[in-house]
Amino acid sequence: MGAAIKSEFRKFFTTRLWWGMAIGIFLAAALFSAFFAYFTTSATATEEGAPTGDPVQIVNSVYTAGLGVGYLLMLTVGILQIGSEYRHKTITSTLLSTPNRVRAMLAKIVALLGIGALYGLVSLLGSVTVGAITLMVRDVDPFPSIEVLRTLALSLLALGLWSLIGLGLGILIPNMVAAILVGVGVAWIVEPLLSFGLSNLDWGAKIVPYFPSNATNAMVNGVTAQGTDVTFLSWWAGALVLAAYAAALSAFGTWRTVRQDVS
Amino acid sequence: MTAATTTTSTQGTPGGAHIEIRDLTKSFGSFTAVDNLSFEVQPGRITGFLGPNGAGKTTTLRMLLGLVHPTSGTARIDGRDYRDLDRPLSVVGSALEATNFHPGRSGRDHLRVIAAAGGLPDSRVDELLELTGIPAAARKRAGEYSMGMRQRLGLAAALLGDPRVLILDEPANGLDPEGIRWLRGFLRHLAGEGKTILVSSHLLQEVEQTVDDVVIIANGRLVRSGTMAELHGAPTTIVRTSDNDRLVGALRVADVMAAPGADGELVVETGDKRLVGDVALQAGVPVWELRDRRTDLEALFFQLTEGTNRNLGDGATSLPGATQPGATQPGATADAPTETDAISGREGANE
Repeated sequence: MGAAIKSEFRKFFTTRLWWGMAIGIFLAAALFSAFFAYFTTSATATEEGAPTGDPVQIVNSVYTAGLGVGYLLMLTVGILQIGSEYRHKTITSTLLSTPNRVRAMLAKIVALLGIGALYGLVSLLGSVTVGAITLMVRDVDPFPSIEVLRTLALSLLALGLWSLIGLGLGILIPNMVAAILVGVGVAWIVEPLLSFGLSNLDWGAKIVPYFPSNATNAMVNGVTAQGTDVTFLSWWAGALVLAAYAAALSAFGTWRTVRQDVS
Repeated sequence: MTAATTTTSTQGTPGGAHIEIRDLTKSFGSFTAVDNLSFEVQPGRITGFLGPNGAGKTTTLRMLLGLVHPTSGTARIDGRDYRDLDRPLSVVGSALEATNFHPGRSGRDHLRVIAAAGGLPDSRVDELLELTGIPAAARKRAGEYSMGMRQRLGLAAALLGDPRVLILDEPANGLDPEGIRWLRGFLRHLAGEGKTILVSSHLLQEVEQTVDDVVIIANGRLVRSGTMAELHGAPTTIVRTSDNDRLVGALRVADVMAAPGADGELVVETGDKRLVGDVALQAGVPVWELRDRRTDLEALFFQLTEGTNRNLGDGATSLPGATQPGATQPGATADAPTETDAISGREGANE
């Protein structure tokens, strides 16, 4: 098992993808947190329609402002970890060296959780340094509660879980490019539109919090948009919901991989 | 010299393993790609797995390697399914397609990924790159590789775990003549270490000088299996003389059967040309041609594999190793180069 996990890490770090992703995640985290810190702490923030929350939520949001871009990139990483194997047919040599397919897929899952956590650290490096400096410039306490630490830790988990959603999606849609387009399209466009539309309906408002993006947001306990009737999940419920998505999709992916013929 | 060095380092490994395909069938919907196929592959020999394109060779190999689930039947290596092997890379090495590389990953890193999964040290990677003659080129990204490079890299990947069995799918595809010569010597060298080697090809002539045994399939069914010598049939000699009847009579006295062939030639059922010459001299008949009759393997292969196309069902029932009388074509003179494989192998590996 250890050998297969090591192999998955090597797969990831032997193409140029990983440092491109690292730069993207770092920049997204730094820029979004600077922007968010500046925007939510301005004197007229509430009148301007900025999202609202208590000081802890504001700080949480500043440090996880880039998470939206971060988890989309991790979704892509998850898709690529299996999609490029199909595309370049390296799945053959993967399954030849690890013929037990459940083990091969578990290795991918463990490796992706690790890669998610690593990118989470890169992301935090950008968001916490830049965000904290911006907050201090604004005279806001950059570390109001120990709860912030929980948020930082959970943002690492969130990135790992999104990569597992990508892994399942990459198996569900074997065409790598289509999988990325569908995955990012759904998470970035369809889901926000759907949650905006449904939140005005009684029954809709009840399911909206269980959408993966909203669960992720609940997990890191950020600020919420003004004027919505939706009650978002608590941080632990959000974490469980996102973990359930990740578990369901990666379990589905493993099941499909075990059954299929590789040719 | 590289090959020689490796011999020492790989000595002491157990010999090859026995491959047994038993009643193997694979259907894709209504299409039967492999149809009740059975054959065996022996250690220490190179076995050619032959058939036209689409005959089911790759599907069979993929079932043997646990990549494709058989509809029925078994494909075992030393009595075990590939998927049940504890350290698969050390038992079976395989190169299925020369295009299975991530274009953005260097060949060396590709091998390192496999080595990690097999629990093998990175030093083994560099050893194999040296052995296959691509140590420098393997540091470039695989997307830039030529077909020959890909074949060599695939071979290096197959040999990483110093396996007892080597399975290669169309390894000569895309190799230049020098590369084919190198490959031939290399495989001979590995078979000499006692490894079991199974090489697929859609061209009998391509592997004619390489393999000891052949397994020929068409339409997913076995049409012939046996040694290369059995495929060639008993050796015969062509002789031309001015008086066929007299020579036939003289040969009969010497206990050798002969019969007139095409175009006035005489086909003698022996490989001993000296005997034929001596008999002719004693009989006092002039001889102006005396040579081995070579089996036209291309025609034979064509006949075997095409035959089943026209008449489904005949192929599967033909006995392994049985020689069909009509199989040999008289008059073929394709001369085979006779250089020794081991020497050409060293030349290739030295580059």
